[in-house]
Amino acid sequence: MSPRKSERIMNLTICLLMARRFLDKAHIRENVEGYAGMTDGNFERTFERDKDELRALGVPVETGSNSPLFPDDVGYRIRRQNFELPPVQFTAAETTVLGLAGRVWEQATLADHTVSALAKLRAAGIEVDSSRMAGIAPTMGAREPSFDLFWQATTSSRRIGFDYRGQPRTLEPWIMTYRHGAWYVLGLDVERNSQRMFKISRVEGTPSLIGKRGAFVVPTDLDLAALVRSLEPAAPDREAVLAIRGERAPELRRRGSAGESPDGLPLGFAAYRVPYTPHSDFVGEVAAQGPDVLVLSPPELRHQVIRRLQAWVAGNESGVLG
Amino acid sequence: MTSTEQVGRLLALVPYLQAHPDADVVRTADTFGVTPRQLLADLNVLWYCGQGSLPGDLIEIDMDAATSDGRIRLTNADYLSRPLRFTADEVLSLVIALRAIRELAPIEVSTAVDSALHKLTGAAGVAASERVSLAVSAGQEGVRDLLARAIEIGVAVRLTYDGPTRAETSTPLVDPIRLSTRDGYAYLDAWSHERNAWRTYRLDRIARVALTQDAATEHGELPEFGSGWLDRRSDAAVIALDLDDTARWITEYYPVRSVSELPDGLRVELLVADPAWLRGLLLRLGSRVHSVSPPGAADGAAAAAAEALALYAHLSLVQ
Repeated sequence: MSPRKSERIMNLTICLLMARRFLDKAHIRENVEGYAGMTDGNFERTFERDKDELRALGVPVETGSNSPLFPDDVGYRIRRQNFELPPVQFTAAETTVLGLAGRVWEQATLADHTVSALAKLRAAGIEVDSSRMAGIAPTMGAREPSFDLFWQATTSSRRIGFDYRGQPRTLEPWIMTYRHGAWYVLGLDVERNSQRMFKISRVEGTPSLIGKRGAFVVPTDLDLAALVRSLEPAAPDREAVLAIRGERAPELRRRGSAGESPDGLPLGFAAYRVPYTPHSDFVGEVAAQGPDVLVLSPPELRHQVIRRLQAWVAGNESGVLG
Repeated sequence: MTSTEQVGRLLALVPYLQAHPDADVVRTADTFGVTPRQLLADLNVLWYCGQGSLPGDLIEIDMDAATSDGRIRLTNADYLSRPLRFTADEVLSLVIALRAIRELAPIEVSTAVDSALHKLTGAAGVAASERVSLAVSAGQEGVRDLLARAIEIGVAVRLTYDGPTRAETSTPLVDPIRLSTRDGYAYLDAWSHERNAWRTYRLDRIARVALTQDAATEHGELPEFGSGWLDRRSDAAVIALDLDDTARWITEYYPVRSVSELPDGLRVELLVADPAWLRGLLLRLGSRVHSVSPPGAADGAAAAAAEALALYAHLSLVQ
């Protein structure tokens, strides 16, 4: 960070913001403190870089001509109505939740973005209250090391290249979604020319941004909600009859309904009909309950649970205990 | 820190200081997420900025007051009286944060969240806000509302809780302190009367909440319930598991201490505070576990499996 450079860019901003018409480079060079004493080439390069930096901050530096007769005589200006935060009012309840929003992000880059957004609101005279609502503390994290790059690629519509399960991929990232504590990215896999979803924590190495911003558009007929739903567990399409001991396995009992208990159940067990899908690890869920949950039907599920349990029986060759 | 970041901050700092005459250095630094030292360096830059190079053209700052009294007085900058509009990243990060609050918030708060969201996206005109989405497992709305009310008025509650590890419904009496989220799940952070200690309860496992007449009492600072929380529990033991590659998912679901690769899979070290939780995990994984260390840690799973298989045999269900 160079104080001289920050000064020069601030002075350039003020100069362009105060301009009533497009200012040509010669005028800017003469009037903005900081360009004086530069060689022609040095000034050209520095001015171009300064403009780029301002645009990266979201400052709308416009290029144009003052005269329709001489369209090639270009100059620069910043229109105030495009520069300033539009007037906006918030109620007390809204400023309270905005203050809370400032504490949500644990991921450093996004936490910085919320800090600067709230600083702008405060600069506009909106008193954001960050001390209230101590009883609600949602947090959002992103432990995935390449999260930042995927966020940048998605929000600026840039292609991104990365390795996934040993395969190189080039993706046009459409959306990112956070589910069960993990981030996913969905977009067009360019080489395969089809839509793909990736779990960002499984991306290998450091991805690279490819090409320019705004390089693609998200298809307008995309049903984002349906795509995101595809990450949710499949709806149950089968039913198991389980024998559950007393008050045990409350989650399974609440998911199901009381069934008719057949003769011969061990003392204290009752039958429940519980819907399930083979796509989730229902076998594991039942096996985890040990002697508190027994599968009565279907037989295939029962065998799978028994096989899972047998791993823990001494003398079983394929088992853990040898 | 780059000049771009500094210029971005200065463009908000100038209107901020005009809207807050005599602003405090420490509070202002906090608002902008920088150190007081950095803020003074920012003021030093602004001191040379203005419409021209003559003294009357420059922004005026009382640097003595800033360094000696910690008060900032900035004038002669009418042309920068409003902040720059939001960047897309600023709006989007705020929008996602507000949506995270809505996932957890009781009804009256979600109304404020919705209207704030509406104004923000209106002010910024960002279509990109649909490009990022999130979901949190936050249980029933009625449960959240009751807990939020109990926290606000400061009373103890009786929970009906489907514990994950004891595999049994319990009805703990707790002083509720905070609703929070971690790793996509919402939790109640509370003081357990029975355990006389801080505990967290996953909201989607709370079946019922009953408010009591008893005032919640003061228990000091809430601990950080982050992934390192178990580290500080004295009763937690380190368990090492050698696993098949198909069991790699557990490294994403549970706080693991370390992961190392093996020729036929991986070794993970877990901190286990509750033997029943470990027993459930081992039974769930079955033969995907190649070995357990210390070996005695698998005794519970072995006994439970033997008991379950005996029951199947008794039922004549083993064919």
